[in-house]
Amino acid sequence: MIRPIALPLLLLALASILAMVISVGVGSVAIAPMEVVSVFMGEGADLQRTLVLELRLPRTLSAFATGGLLAVAGALMQVLLRNPLADPYVLGLSGGAAVGALLAMLAGLGGVIVSGSAFAGAMLATLMVFGLAHGTGSWTPSRLLLTGVVVAAGWGAVITLMLAISPARELPGMLYWLMGDVSYARAPWPGLGLLLVVCVVVVPLGRSLNVLARGPMQAAALGISVRPLEWLIYVLASLLTATAVTMAGSIGFVGLVIPHMLRLVLGNDQRLILPACALAGGTLLVLADTLARVVIAPEQLPVGVITALLGVPTFLYLLYRSR
Amino acid sequence: MVKLKIVVAMLGWMLLASPVLGASVCATDDLGEEICLDRPAKRIAALSPGATELAWAAGAGDQVVAVVAYSDYPPAARKVTSVGSHTRMDMERLLQLRPDLVIGWVTGNPTEQLATLKALDIPVFSIEPRSFEAVSQTIERLSTLAGTESEGFAEAERFRQGIAGLRAQFEKADPVPVFYQVWDEPLMTVNSQHLIGEMIQLCGGDNVFGHLGRLVPRISAEAVVAANPEAILAGGMGEENRHWLTRWQNFPSLTATARYNLFFIPPSLVQRPTPRMLEGTRLFCDKLEVARGRRP
Repeated sequence: MIRPIALPLLLLALASILAMVISVGVGSVAIAPMEVVSVFMGEGADLQRTLVLELRLPRTLSAFATGGLLAVAGALMQVLLRNPLADPYVLGLSGGAAVGALLAMLAGLGGVIVSGSAFAGAMLATLMVFGLAHGTGSWTPSRLLLTGVVVAAGWGAVITLMLAISPARELPGMLYWLMGDVSYARAPWPGLGLLLVVCVVVVPLGRSLNVLARGPMQAAALGISVRPLEWLIYVLASLLTATAVTMAGSIGFVGLVIPHMLRLVLGNDQRLILPACALAGGTLLVLADTLARVVIAPEQLPVGVITALLGVPTFLYLLYRSR
Repeated sequence: MVKLKIVVAMLGWMLLASPVLGASVCATDDLGEEICLDRPAKRIAALSPGATELAWAAGAGDQVVAVVAYSDYPPAARKVTSVGSHTRMDMERLLQLRPDLVIGWVTGNPTEQLATLKALDIPVFSIEPRSFEAVSQTIERLSTLAGTESEGFAEAERFRQGIAGLRAQFEKADPVPVFYQVWDEPLMTVNSQHLIGEMIQLCGGDNVFGHLGRLVPRISAEAVVAANPEAILAGGMGEENRHWLTRWQNFPSLTATARYNLFFIPPSLVQRPTPRMLEGTRLFCDKLEVARGRRP
């Protein structure tokens, strides 16, 4: 029982560590591997210490946290909505976060307040969709999905309107925020902490999630209290997404494709898929961000370009091979 | 022994009195922050094409060690190491160049990346010139930080005098209703708050969209036809691309079209807040004079 779960996770953990080592070791300024090691031993030249400890390491950790958070959130959303097209943003969370962030920028605020406002916006979007989907009738995944998609469209319109009427002075900052990029990410620790906590919380629920993924009727028949479980998944996925968006803006693709990729390879056991998503999502974003930094340096590519360029062929290959 | 003491005392006095050794320089940037350097900057990173031009105008061109993409003027700037685009700087390459002064762009550079530089104790002087006078003052402040005040203040004054001269020349000129086209698809113009709006006003132009609320309003072709400007001035993509003006030839009823007052203005002369604006403004004024000459 322990082996089939432990082996893939071990391999993925090794891959994540490898990706992080590469990410810290590679950059547009060449630093020899031994020098990187000596920086971590507390030695090395000032410039190299700054490059490795102040630029590369925080960025690598932020990329890992963001990718992991989004992939786990995507997997949870797919289970909750029982829809393969679900991703962390499908219910309008990123839209709410963006409106929050842009409002703070319009008010001339910056830094931490913009992040806080983005988080608040995401949580507001969550509550709104949740309340509206409940409505006067019953709470079904398709109703939740439809509410979310329509609310997301509403946020999209508000964002476009805000961009259209904002003073030119604030516009570039807003556009950067909307593009989403790891290079603008701040402290990685809250994201990493949350990722770890959620993995610990969610794995024991894996068995119930497995049953829920087959349908609420079956789950109820097997003695699972479906409604509280669905609420919990919804809140967790929202929290994860809100944190990721607050860290690095709305980075697409990772949350949709990583869970599917892992299911194609590992099967649909949530006890395995969820922690695997955290590791694989983080690894993909770390690798993509490393490439985005160095491929055409000194020009920097948006990380989304590389995640898609790496992810699309891999995913199509897996899908083609699957039965 | 006494001699030695005297020598030491004299050396000390010279150190204190010398304007070069140990002299710190200070200037306030456009965010209102006072930036002080222990000694004038020797390694300057200019994080926008405009900042590069202004650094050169301040006489500090030789001290510029890093620029960003599209820093194409003066030609010598093309030879300086680029650290990527102004929206996404390659921070590693920038730090490797060890700048002792970074000229940031308030609304053009990502605040997070500028904050990272500040956190690493690199002085960041953020600029955003929004008037003719601000261009002169920015050149002066940069020359103070770079220790090139004689060149910088002279250039700032040359620009100031040039603008004042044009202002005096066209103060009483007959107003010409003008439409300035910043962009083609979508059609965009500027209002009177914009620096380009100021250039038009200075030449005795009457910006037909000057009253609009937004700095760079998006408008329809119909609105242009309704406003019926006497002259249309347009930039374009690139320095020689005039095709933005051809669309107005389909409207022969427009006064501007009927009198052939469709003028191309190289965008780099007017769209960067640098001393080259003097040349651009002169060009604006010349074109409006041409339009006045074509009145029946």
